[in-house]
Amino acid sequence: MKRSLAGRIWLNATAVVLAIGFVFPVYWMFNTAFKPTRDILSEDPVWFPFHGTFEHFATAVHAPDFWTLAGNSVVVTVLAVALSLVIALCGAFALTRMRFKGRKGILLTFMVAQMAPWEVMVISVYLIVRDADMLNSLVPLTCFYMLMVLPFTLLTLRGYVAAVPRELEESAMVDGCSRRQAFLKVVFPLLAPGLMATSLFGFITAWHEFPLVLVLNKEPGAGTLPLWLSQFQTRFGDDWGATMAAASLFAVPILLLFLFLQRKAVGGLTSGAVKG
Amino acid sequence: MKRGLIAATMVAGMLVGVAACGSGDGADGFKGQKLTVWVMSGSNPAQWTEQVSAQFKKKTGATVEFKVQQWNGIQQKLSTALSEDTPPDVVEIGNTQTAAYAKAGALADLGDLKKAIGADWNDAFNKAALVDGKQYALPWFAGNRVVMYNKKIWAQAGLKGTPRTRSELFKAFDTIKKKTDAEPLYLPGQNWYFLDGLTIGTGADLVKKQGGKWVSNLGDPKVAKAMDIYKTYQSFSTAPKNKDEATPQQSEVFAKGKTGAVIAMGYEAAEAVKANPGIKKDIGFFTIPGETAGKPEGVFLGGSNFAVAGMGKNQELAKEFLKIALSKENDARMVKEAGWTPKSPDLATAAKENPAAAAAAPAAEKSGGTTPLIPQWAAVENVPNPIKSYMTAVLNGKSPADAAKAVESEINARLAKE
Amino acid sequence: MQLDGAAAATDQAAARTGKGGAPPCGRGSRRGRGAPYLLLLPALLATAVFLGWPMVRNLVLSFQNLNMKELIQHLTEWVGTGNYREILGSEQFWRVTLRTVVFTAVNVVLIMVLGTLIGLLLARLGKTMRLALSVALVLAWAMPVIAATTVFQWLFDSRYGVVNWVLDAAGWHAMTDYDWVGTQLSTFFVITVMIVWQSLPFVALNLYAATTTIPKELYEAARMDGAGTWQVFASVTFPFLRPFFLATTFLEVIWVFKAFPQIFAINQGGPDRLTETLPIYAFTEGVGNLHFGMGAAISLLTIVVLLAMTAHYLRLTLRQEAQEEHEEAAL
Repeated sequence: MKRSLAGRIWLNATAVVLAIGFVFPVYWMFNTAFKPTRDILSEDPVWFPFHGTFEHFATAVHAPDFWTLAGNSVVVTVLAVALSLVIALCGAFALTRMRFKGRKGILLTFMVAQMAPWEVMVISVYLIVRDADMLNSLVPLTCFYMLMVLPFTLLTLRGYVAAVPRELEESAMVDGCSRRQAFLKVVFPLLAPGLMATSLFGFITAWHEFPLVLVLNKEPGAGTLPLWLSQFQTRFGDDWGATMAAASLFAVPILLLFLFLQRKAVGGLTSGAVKG
Repeated sequence: MKRGLIAATMVAGMLVGVAACGSGDGADGFKGQKLTVWVMSGSNPAQWTEQVSAQFKKKTGATVEFKVQQWNGIQQKLSTALSEDTPPDVVEIGNTQTAAYAKAGALADLGDLKKAIGADWNDAFNKAALVDGKQYALPWFAGNRVVMYNKKIWAQAGLKGTPRTRSELFKAFDTIKKKTDAEPLYLPGQNWYFLDGLTIGTGADLVKKQGGKWVSNLGDPKVAKAMDIYKTYQSFSTAPKNKDEATPQQSEVFAKGKTGAVIAMGYEAAEAVKANPGIKKDIGFFTIPGETAGKPEGVFLGGSNFAVAGMGKNQELAKEFLKIALSKENDARMVKEAGWTPKSPDLATAAKENPAAAAAAPAAEKSGGTTPLIPQWAAVENVPNPIKSYMTAVLNGKSPADAAKAVESEINARLAKE
Repeated sequence: MQLDGAAAATDQAAARTGKGGAPPCGRGSRRGRGAPYLLLLPALLATAVFLGWPMVRNLVLSFQNLNMKELIQHLTEWVGTGNYREILGSEQFWRVTLRTVVFTAVNVVLIMVLGTLIGLLLARLGKTMRLALSVALVLAWAMPVIAATTVFQWLFDSRYGVVNWVLDAAGWHAMTDYDWVGTQLSTFFVITVMIVWQSLPFVALNLYAATTTIPKELYEAARMDGAGTWQVFASVTFPFLRPFFLATTFLEVIWVFKAFPQIFAINQGGPDRLTETLPIYAFTEGVGNLHFGMGAAISLLTIVVLLAMTAHYLRLTLRQEAQEEHEEAAL
């Protein structure tokens, strides 16, 4: 009994230390966002923003085009993720449930696609979009973001589809459903958690993307939030308070999404990965 | 008041002159058109922008749209934008970057315009806009470093007046070190533009021509001498030897009130005040003193040029814009409002109102210079800048010759690529 | 919480059809042969257009000399294999490649080991503590990279950094003004701390979730045999989660290898370019210095290196797929 109590204390203590370690940088971001500028750089750390100010948040939100960029970000991210989910789901279904020629080759293609060095390919993408006269449009941006997350989405969904037993589909089909109906009515609901979990990765990737939008959409109203986030660095130096305030705001949607999807996300990614 | 009047008259006179030799498309020819001007974040002061826009509208009937650009990734943005069918009409380009863009064929020739409006500009300012003798840009503003000091700390140390020679300055730092608990000077090891100024002071060249190719000249004894001066400066500071003045911002360090002085641009005072409003009354400036009282220390003239995109569709209108944006009146505003160094003698009066600009002016005039004005130079300064490595190495005890040798191949590789 | 849909479905299905219901026969012939291709068409088409095309363009660029001048004036200047010869002939490329491989290996090992430990810890915690630690992990995971890199720069700042302050307060006064980005090793230390910190949540949370799918009976049986904690892990957890470990390691190798903003922000690959990894090298040579042809060539070589590093896993997966197909065919 005694030993197990000691063991429990030890476990919990470790967990507390770890939790603090993981949260601290995040806390420091929020903390800095609320600090007056003179406290940001301090020989003795200012642990709590006792003299808190909303000044940095005001700077961040009042930056030009904030709401336009936020709207663009939401549109591009949601569309890119939704498209990639639909396309990937079809593909994942075929790859797991059907046997056909070239299957392994296709599988390999997506695994390799995951390695694409997008940061350095920016110039090729730029030249293509420029020559197609599609600069400053959200369409190419959405398409490329969609593809940045497609391979991961497809490979992960493959695991989920594999986890849904064939027998379920079979029995539905015996009951008179067509294959498509069987999929929509039986398989799809079971995949929902997996879809949500997978979408998180997509959301983060598309929401954070910077190098591509930097050169593709240079018109002030055509950009996305990462551009806004990097704008508090000027000739006169970097406004770190505003940057941290902006970063805090920038992180909030992702955090909410996480907390909302947490249950699903945690259980979700696994079955994808386990069977992957 | 009087000065404003004079300036206004001069502008009016100039405008008449311009109209007289205009190419025929009079003011109405531009009605309803729109001109796009890219300026860097923080470059265009509010009043200046307002005034230039209004004057431009009045004179040409066209509107100007200032698009403020962020620094992050500007090189990629600018080079791609200049390749597009509808590039920005006028762009702000860092003065030391101008040669590279000109060589790439991105910029229009502005020789006539320079003759018309810039006859009396200080050569040190204009040099960076010239490539192979051709005028590819016009200097907009430039500034140089001064000593920004904390009057309170200097008074505590019993110092009176400001040093007029380098040895007096070092003596003052010494006194502060002994008599106060403040850090006499905050100077990180990689304030590379300060070193560049010192090399201008010792008459060193950072590159030399060898067999028809530009190569590093960092091993030159004159560079070593400049680096030696830097090392003496740095010995009064406990700032990190492998950081530059931006990490952390030296103005914010200065704002804490425990630093005797910093080698700073005039605008850094405003940043310090923003971090700590209480420091305002203690801030003073003086020209960086040179070896002798007569000649201030060499300084790097950092600033920006305006250039017209070679593929732009509105080049005539762009030139009209430059005539207005770079008029005496508006230039005076850049000095007064933003504290930049006057680029012609008659702007000196405008500098009187801005103490930082006043302290900067003598050095700019007598010993101002830039980095090597060759198109390949911009690449040398790209992150990671090998000269900064050189500085850190010397400050950590390596001999200047050895440190120069260590980065030579890197510099030469960058100079070799066009 | 742990009962995700898929796992629940497995139980249901097993109950309804009896354990391991025989795979239905003849489906292949019933279905139209074009169906799989039709389903895969959007994915393949999108990949071909939005990835294949840029890749081909990239390949073409790698045989060109494309600098600012060529970009602005829309010029094309072929240099044949010149870019490749220059890169492969430079000692720096090989040094950077080796460094990248070592860097990736160290980080991935740390991430997998620590992630597994934290995942197992999560499984043993009480409900409240587990939720608290999970939320902490999720917060770290969701922090924007630009904010994370900035905060880490501050934490490790030599004069104003919290880390040095804490070390000093703890009595280690030599660290008061320690310069973390002064040497190659200490800079890598900071980068590694940050990357591991960012990557652990993914591994830990997924591992925890994965352990919940392991049937309890397996553990009980092992305990009956008198196995200790380590033996239980080695004989039950690890074998059961082998596919998970493989897949996650594969992903982490790719992600750590491609890590860009983290390394660049801390010290721009410095001091003296000693912490440049392949992506930083490609960026500095290509995009930063506006030698896009060179950058394209490096980026393609980067893929080759990454392929070599993951070849084992790729082969393993394909072999396993082949085996499954084979087994099905046999039935």
